[in-house]
Order: sequence, then structure tokens, then C-alpha cells
Amino acid sequence: MRSAISILGVALGVALIMLFTGLAHGMSEDLQKRSSNVSAEIIFTRPGSMQLTSSSANLNTKYVELLQNIEGVESVTPVIRYFYPSGSFGVDQVEGIEWGSFSKMNNIRIIQGRAPSATDDVVIDETKASRNHPVGSTLKIFGDRQYHVVGIYAPESGARAKVTLASLQESLEAPGKCTFIFIKLKNPADQVAVARRIEEKFPGNKIQFTREVFATIENSIPGLNIFLRVLVGLAAVVSALVVMLAMHTTITERTREIGILKAMGASRRYIISEIEREALLISFLGMVVGFALAWLAGFGIHKATGLIFQFGGWWALTAALIGLAGGALGAFYPAARAANLDPVNALAYE
Amino acid sequence: MATILKAENLEKVYRVGKVDVPALRGVSLAIQEGEFIGVMGPSGCGKSTMLHLLGGLLTPTSGRIVIDGEDLTAASDAKRTDIRRRKIGFVFQRFNLFPTLTAEGNLRLAERIHGNGADDPDRRREVLRMLRLEDKMHHKPLELSGGEQQRVALARAVVNRPAIVLADEPTGNLDSENSAIVLKMLRELNDRFNQTIIMITHNPEAAEACQRVIQMRDGHIVDG
Repeated sequence: MRSAISILGVALGVALIMLFTGLAHGMSEDLQKRSSNVSAEIIFTRPGSMQLTSSSANLNTKYVELLQNIEGVESVTPVIRYFYPSGSFGVDQVEGIEWGSFSKMNNIRIIQGRAPSATDDVVIDETKASRNHPVGSTLKIFGDRQYHVVGIYAPESGARAKVTLASLQESLEAPGKCTFIFIKLKNPADQVAVARRIEEKFPGNKIQFTREVFATIENSIPGLNIFLRVLVGLAAVVSALVVMLAMHTTITERTREIGILKAMGASRRYIISEIEREALLISFLGMVVGFALAWLAGFGIHKATGLIFQFGGWWALTAALIGLAGGALGAFYPAARAANLDPVNALAYE
Repeated sequence: MATILKAENLEKVYRVGKVDVPALRGVSLAIQEGEFIGVMGPSGCGKSTMLHLLGGLLTPTSGRIVIDGEDLTAASDAKRTDIRRRKIGFVFQRFNLFPTLTAEGNLRLAERIHGNGADDPDRRREVLRMLRLEDKMHHKPLELSGGEQQRVALARAVVNRPAIVLADEPTGNLDSENSAIVLKMLRELNDRFNQTIIMITHNPEAAEACQRVIQMRDGHIVDG
């Protein structure tokens, strides 16, 4: 029973590391994958109009026509990106687009149903459709307002749900506005020169290269890596404390046995190594159970919420090492204490 | 016969709170190789303290102990453990077997602690056969009677051929029938293998099995 609790303690630490890092990487990878299907080389926007989990429609759509006339620009399309509360967990996003220009620029197509045209039409990608949202079903985006799923598109690109630009302008009471404008160039190699031209013509706006924005999603989340390291550290401390407590109890219960070992001539090193061996076995089993728990929990959470987990080999190795090292270090103090027990007192222990 | 154990003027004082409690007050003795010694005396006379000092489980306040040519009192804690491992076998009143290990497993553990790559199934079987335990070698302590458990403890004490076996009331927890069996085994070990044995006992019948009996009182040897 005691060993089972120790194994679960280590498993908890390992599972926490795997789940937190898996979720962070899974979500950012997913975001990156969907973003990589964007063909535009340049994003034109207002400073501060687009953050990671919030956005506002404060860019005038008059720029669409103006940007189209810049030398080297092949096509432009305006987008409103809006984040909204989704279920019990976090936020989701929807994009308001002009289907014709957006789909042409980014090579996306309707694979089932039709493109959005009315203000309550929405098209979604295959991942969202697989979560019980077939064509013909409804979707809530703004409070209780129902949107009709009229089509499914592929490949995945940007927000999973897309409505018409006019629909989002109306909902946000932002007529004639958008969040950003995608700009596709005739020659992608010219993007620096074209960006300079846009900057000269429309100073005070923000011009970003999509390759830079999407390549650094993970790094652009403030403190993500520090956050993950802190979590990993906490998980290591939890594992070590659980093993230490279990070993401390074990040794107290086995005081008499340790006295017998000492009477038989067992050295300090022998006693420490025996206890450490047991701790490592517990940690190893905890590690295996932890991986299984993480996989099961990740699968369950994905099914229930749609959150995506990506378990990386490097983090699995880190979790394994932390589980084993936490167990070994946690057992060391009780082991050293056992090795220093007075044999006569230990033999008299009841 | 060579002297296998020599103790000179052993004193042991326990500190209980702010009070010094003397347990041994100058004990000297010499044990020859192959002797079977009984130690008797009333409770609190210092028998167990003397046995623990001779086995290196305690250090004396003053005095000197030499076992098989090695000075136990001058040794560091680690060295004392090493001498105990190589030269001493303990048998306790409460058997002190490891409950999760079989009879043979308890012997194998003793071999492992003794080291030198010792893993000698023939020797284990020989010792268990001599102690009439061959058919019990795969039994765990709780599946054995008290007498059988004490015989396993005895087998564990001698499996590494120690210079001396120190037995602390080995028949104290046994009925008369099992006591007689264990005493017979001790006698046999002494006769067949010239095993030196020092045994604390309150039992006069057990003392009769010994070649020599040391009587203790108030931390002194008063006879033997």
C-alpha cells in the first residue's frame, strides 16, 4: 500500500510534466500548423490590434484597395480575428473573412456544403467538424446567437471557424473595419522591398512578415519556457517529497530490520544502496505509470475539450530523469539516517 | 587451543539523563577457539551489554577487546562493522528473521552482506540439512514453528563460518521441546565444526550444554 502511494506520487509528478509541456507544445504546434497554411507574406495591421488572445477591429478596410495598388502586391484580403469564451476552458477564435479573396489567396476550398454568405453562416475546418459539428448543426459564438454550420473547409488555416467579414463587423459594431490585412506578393523574395514601400506610403501602421510571426509563436508567448521550467521543478519537488515521506515511513517501520542488518555486519553503504535501489524501483514504476496517466489524461482532455497534447521525446526524457532523480534524492536522507541508526537501539525497536 | 577472544577490564557506563549508570565494571575474560560458553546471571547484571560489546554493536567506556587477532576497541565504526561482518554471527531471542524472505533467502542475504561474491547454494543446503531444515528452505518465517525459526536464525549466523557465534537467550522464546532441539543443534555445531559459541541464558538446562559457564552479577564476572 505504501509502495503503491509512492508510485502514484512519482507518477503524478511525471504526468504533470508531460501534460503541461504536452499541452503547451501541442497548442503552439497546432497554431503554427494552421498558420503555416497562410500564403500571404505580409500582415498589415494597426499597432496593438492583434495580441495572442485578444484582438480588435480598428483597421480601416479602405487600406485593402490602397494596398492592392502597391507595386509588387498580387492580392490582399481583410480579416477580423475575434476571440470568444469557449466552453469551460479558455478561449476560441473566429475569423471574419471575404471568402472569395481569402480562399483564393490561401488555397482553401469547401469540401462539404458551401461557403458562408449570410450573417449567421459559419464554415469550420475538419477538426472542429469532427467534434460533433456536422454541416447543418449550429454553433454559438456571440453569447446565445446561433450560427449555422453551412460548410467544411480544408486545409486548416487560421481560426477553425470562419464567418463573413460583414457578419463580424455587424456583431462587433465595427462597420468598415478589420483586424489585419493579408498581403500576398507577386514575388515572395521581394517582401522586404514591398514592406518598405508600404511603410513609406502608410507610416504609423504595423507591418509584419508572416514567416517571423509564425516561426516564433512559442517564443512569443511571454515567459512560456520559464513557466514550463517552474512547473517541471515543482513536479520534481513533489516527486522527491513523496518518495522521501514514503521512505521515511518505511525506514521507521523497518528500524528493527535495519538493526538486524547492522548486527549482521551490513555497512552504511550497503544499507544506503539497498534503500536507494528500492526507491529507484518505485520511481521507475512511477515513471511508467506517470507516462500512462499522461497519455490517458491527454486523450480524455482532448476528447472532452479539444485541447491538443503533443508529447515530445525530450520532455519525456526530462520527466523520466526527474522522476528517477527525485526518487533517488528523496530517499537519500532517510537512507543516510537508517545507515546511522544505533544497532542496539534499532534491535530494541518495537 | 588458541585464544579467539580476549576482553580486558571492560567498563561500560550509560548516561541516562544526567545520571551515569554503570553496566559493566571491569570485566576480563579469555575465550579459547572451539569453546561453548554459557553466560548466566540475574536481569540487569550486564550480560547483554557484554555480548553487545563483544560483538562490536557497542563501544566500551574503557577496556580492550581483541577478536581473532583484531582489536575491536581501537577500530573505527566502519572497521568494527567489517570485523562483525567477517568474524561474528548473532542469534537473538526473538529470531529476527526477515519475514518476506524464505529460510534460504535469509541465508542468502547473510552471504550477500558477507560479500566476497559468496553465493554458495551447497553450503546453504549443508547448513540447513545439519539443522534439519532442508525441507523447509523455501518456507517463510511465518510458515515455520518457533523452534524452526530459531534454527533458521542459527543457520544464518553460521553460514559464513564466523569465528564466534554470540547467542542472546536463543531458547528464551521457545518451549522445552524446541529449546532442547536448538541446544542440541548448538552443541552439534560446536562439536562438528569446532564453532566457538558464547550464549546468554537463564535456563540451567541450557547451561548444562555448555563446556564452561560464566556467572555475572552487578557488572562483574563472579565465577567462571
